[in-house]
Amino acid sequence: MSLEFLNAFKFMKKDSFLHNLDPRAKLFLAIVYTITALLFNQIIPLFLIFLSLIPLVIIGKIFRQWVKSIRGLSFLVIFMIVLNTLFISLSFAIAMILRIFIMVSAFSIFFLTVDPNSLALSLISMKLPYEFAFSFSLAFRFVPTIAKEAQNIIDAQQSRGYEMQAKGIINQIKNLFPLLIPLIICSIKRAFNVAEALESRAFGSKKERSYYYTIKYTIKDWIFTFYLVLFLTAFIIIKIQFNIMPEFFLWGLPV
Amino acid sequence: MSAELPLIMIKDVNYSYPNGTIALKDINLNLYRGELIGIMGKNGAGKTTLIRTLNGLIRPTQGEIYVNNKNINTATIATLSKKVGIIFQNASHQLFANTVEDEIKFSLKSFNLSKEESQMRTNQILHQFNLEKYRERSPLNLSGGESKKLAIASIFCRDPDILIFDEPTLGQDAREIEFFIRLIEKERENDKTIIIITHNIEFAFEFIPRTILMADGKIIADGPTQKVLNCEELIEKSSLILPQSRQFSLALQALGFQNTDTLFSKAEVTKYLMQFIKNSSGSAQKR
Repeated sequence: MSLEFLNAFKFMKKDSFLHNLDPRAKLFLAIVYTITALLFNQIIPLFLIFLSLIPLVIIGKIFRQWVKSIRGLSFLVIFMIVLNTLFISLSFAIAMILRIFIMVSAFSIFFLTVDPNSLALSLISMKLPYEFAFSFSLAFRFVPTIAKEAQNIIDAQQSRGYEMQAKGIINQIKNLFPLLIPLIICSIKRAFNVAEALESRAFGSKKERSYYYTIKYTIKDWIFTFYLVLFLTAFIIIKIQFNIMPEFFLWGLPV
Repeated sequence: MSAELPLIMIKDVNYSYPNGTIALKDINLNLYRGELIGIMGKNGAGKTTLIRTLNGLIRPTQGEIYVNNKNINTATIATLSKKVGIIFQNASHQLFANTVEDEIKFSLKSFNLSKEESQMRTNQILHQFNLEKYRERSPLNLSGGESKKLAIASIFCRDPDILIFDEPTLGQDAREIEFFIRLIEKERENDKTIIIITHNIEFAFEFIPRTILMADGKIIADGPTQKVLNCEELIEKSSLILPQSRQFSLALQALGFQNTDTLFSKAEVTKYLMQFIKNSSGSAQKR
């Protein structure tokens, strides 16, 4: 089992339109796409929303990492298809998968293109206390580290005969203990170490801080935000006027 | 040794990570039963990747690996872990059970032993590692050295033919290193093949007869430790430093001492100095 897909959420410095945008604009993108995804239960509108993300991924030069993040959802996709098809319908299952794809893609774009340091700055500029902003950006920065640690734990346990697959749900849950306990313990230990390192460097000793880098909402960010507002408004209108939309909007697979 | 069939045969192995990083390049290696081999090299040289291919944790992108004359490219990790035991650097990555005893029993689970057999093997291994007094204690409450001991014990109880250690001396005190040395010596008597990844040049120089040096995913040297680790060019390439005894003999040479270029080990340097002191005190007495 590989946790390689978690790297799809690791920031990579690149020179692209998306990378150069203000983190707040990209946070707004993630929120807008999450809201629009939650507005619909039908395949066609969700598919259109999903399609609209692809140009952004290409502009951001993050296509390969984005594909990885989608591929990482394969287990969840199978699970959703089976459960939704059994209890509701295949059309609903596909719609829900599209919804998840949209949300994961939007946050994947956010995490892949936002530098953790500028994320902290943008949160501070949104009047969040520095301690919270710093903790958030730190948590964000530790995702790939924890993924690597989880992979090492899996390898260590497999080296002494641990098998990933177990029969039955209860056994599968029990089977997670050899992975989860060391991972939680190591994460707690790391958290204490980080806290000690921060305190030893006088973290939080002064209320007022100065910053080496500053961020600014430029004209490019405003244009992008305007596009997102238009996008959200258009889909809210579609939702409200759904019954007067062309018939293909309601298309679903035959039950 | 060459007439004997190798226990591990690595043929033209290459490995690239999914992000395209080439970790192993054209690795060819024969390791024999009962050998004690050290793998050294700077960080990122490919040492850990190489050992991970030996029990199937990663599959070579090219080439073949044979263990006991069987191609392992398609064997499962579960099967391979019975033959190849890897003891990873960080013991806390594998300890999770309620008690030390349960931790050992977890390692024995895949052998489908009877309750009595499992208990017997657990008792045996706890005794061998002096962990009996901690039997009921949580593994999470053990000290660093004891946790490492338990991690080693949990692989030893599986009795694999090949034992691989990743940085076993890291963070260990002198007593713990001594215990570890005795342990590997005993395992060698039992004809086990032992591979040790280490950065500890003094430890390798003293105790490991054969050393493989790696750099940039390639094997750059493979031979007797004293020969490999005394070669300044190789040492430079692998970001290591010469063993203290060799540094000392070179310093003696720089000071004008004669016949020091054949001094490699601590024993040779000591013998040379003893002789020098004896000769100097002899000539002083004569004067």
